Amino acid sequence: MIDILQSARFIATGISVTLEVSAGAFLIGITFGSIFAIARRIRICRPIVTFIVSILRGTPVILQLSIIYFATTWIMKLSIISAGIIAFGINSSAYVSEIFRSGIESLPRGQFEASQTLEIPKFHMWKKIIFPQVFHNMLPALINESISLLKETAIIGIIGGMDITRTAQAIASEHYDYFTPLCIAGVYYYCLTTIIELIGRKIEQRRLYT
Amino acid sequence: MSKDVCILKLIDVCKSFHNVKVLDGINLEISKGSITGIVGPSGGGKSTLLRCIQGLETIDSGKIEKNGRTGFMFQDFQLFPHMTVLDNLIFAPCIKNKSQREQHIQNAMQILQELGIEKKSHSYPNTLSGGQKQRVALARSLMMNPDILLCDEPTSGLDQSTSDEVASLLKSINNDTGVTILIASHDLDFLKQISQRIIPMTLVENNSCH
Repeated sequence: MIDILQSARFIATGISVTLEVSAGAFLIGITFGSIFAIARRIRICRPIVTFIVSILRGTPVILQLSIIYFATTWIMKLSIISAGIIAFGINSSAYVSEIFRSGIESLPRGQFEASQTLEIPKFHMWKKIIFPQVFHNMLPALINESISLLKETAIIGIIGGMDITRTAQAIASEHYDYFTPLCIAGVYYYCLTTIIELIGRKIEQRRLYT
Repeated sequence: MSKDVCILKLIDVCKSFHNVKVLDGINLEISKGSITGIVGPSGGGKSTLLRCIQGLETIDSGKIEKNGRTGFMFQDFQLFPHMTVLDNLIFAPCIKNKSQREQHIQNAMQILQELGIEKKSHSYPNTLSGGQKQRVALARSLMMNPDILLCDEPTSGLDQSTSDEVASLLKSINNDTGVTILIASHDLDFLKQISQRIIPMTLVENNSCH
C-alpha cells in the first residue's frame, strides 16, 4: 500500500525541475519567437526563418529533445535541465513567433502610419508603440502556450529528467500502483496551470487601459 | 503673412491600386494659411490624395512640392490606446528632444486647454467620446508644429453639434497659428462652414482638381 503523503512529498521534488525547465524554455521561446516574428517581416530573412519555423513545428518535440541531448555530445555535453530548456524553448519559439505574427497583423495599419506621420524612429515605434499593444493582444495566447509548455516538459523524463511525471512513474513502478502517484502528479500539474492562468488574468486586467 | 504664397503644389499626380486608377493627373495649388476642402463621394480618392501628400502612399507619377512640414489627422484618430492622452501628445516630441520633456508637457497642456480637454490629460483614449478623441488627435498633430494640417474625414462618426465644434476649432486654429488646413470630407455642409475654397473630386476615370 502506498503512503499517499510520502508519495506526494517525493513527487513534489519534481516540481522544481518542471518549473525550471518550463520557465527557462518560455523565456527562450519568447525571445526567439519575437526575433523570428520580426525577421519574418524582413524580406531577406523571411525564407530562412519560415524554413526554421516549419522544421520546428513539423517534427516532434521528443525528437528535438533527443537530438539536442544525445546527438550533440560531440560538440558539448549538456545537462538534462539545459538540454530540456533549449529543446522546449526552441520548439516553443516556433509557436510563439506565430503568436507574435498574428498579434502584429491584428494591429491596425494606422498605428504604424500614425508613428510614421509623427516621425517616430522605427526602434521606438516597435518598442513603445507596437510591442506593448501586440503583447496585450497576444497575452491570452501566450498564457495558453506557457500552459502547454509546462505540460509538455513531462517528456524530459525520456532523457532522465526527474520532473513531476518521472518521479510519479518512479514511485508507481516501485509499488506496482500506478493510479495514486499519477493522480498526485495530475493534481500538481493542475495546480501549477491554474496558478499560471490566474497570474495571466491579473496581468490582463491590469492592462485594460481604462 | 500673405495668403497667396503657395505652400503645397501637386503636379499631374497619378496613383493606382492594382491597376485601378484612383488619382489621375491631379493638379492642385494650396495657398499658405488657407483652409481648403476636398469633397467627393466615397472611393473618389480624397483620402488617397491626402495620404499621398503625407507620404503614406507612393505616387505612380507626377510631383508633390511641399514647402513645410505636414501633420495628419486620421479618420479613425489612430491614437495610441496604451498611452494616456498626455503621453500620446508628448511621446513623439520627447523622442526628438528628450531634454525638453517639461517644455513639451507644458505645450501639450496648453493645447489641451485650448481644445477644452485638459481634464482628460491622464485618461486613456478608449475612455473618451468620439469628439474628445478627435480633439486629442488634433492636439497630437499640432504638437508637431505642422505648416500644413491634413484632415481625413474629421467629422465622420460625429454628431452635428460635435461636427460644428470641430469646424469652429479648426477655424480658430487656422486664425491663431496660421496653419494651412486641407480637409477631405464627404460632408459638403461642414466644408462650407469652414473652407475658403472647396474642390470637388469625382469618381473614376478623371479625378482632376484645379
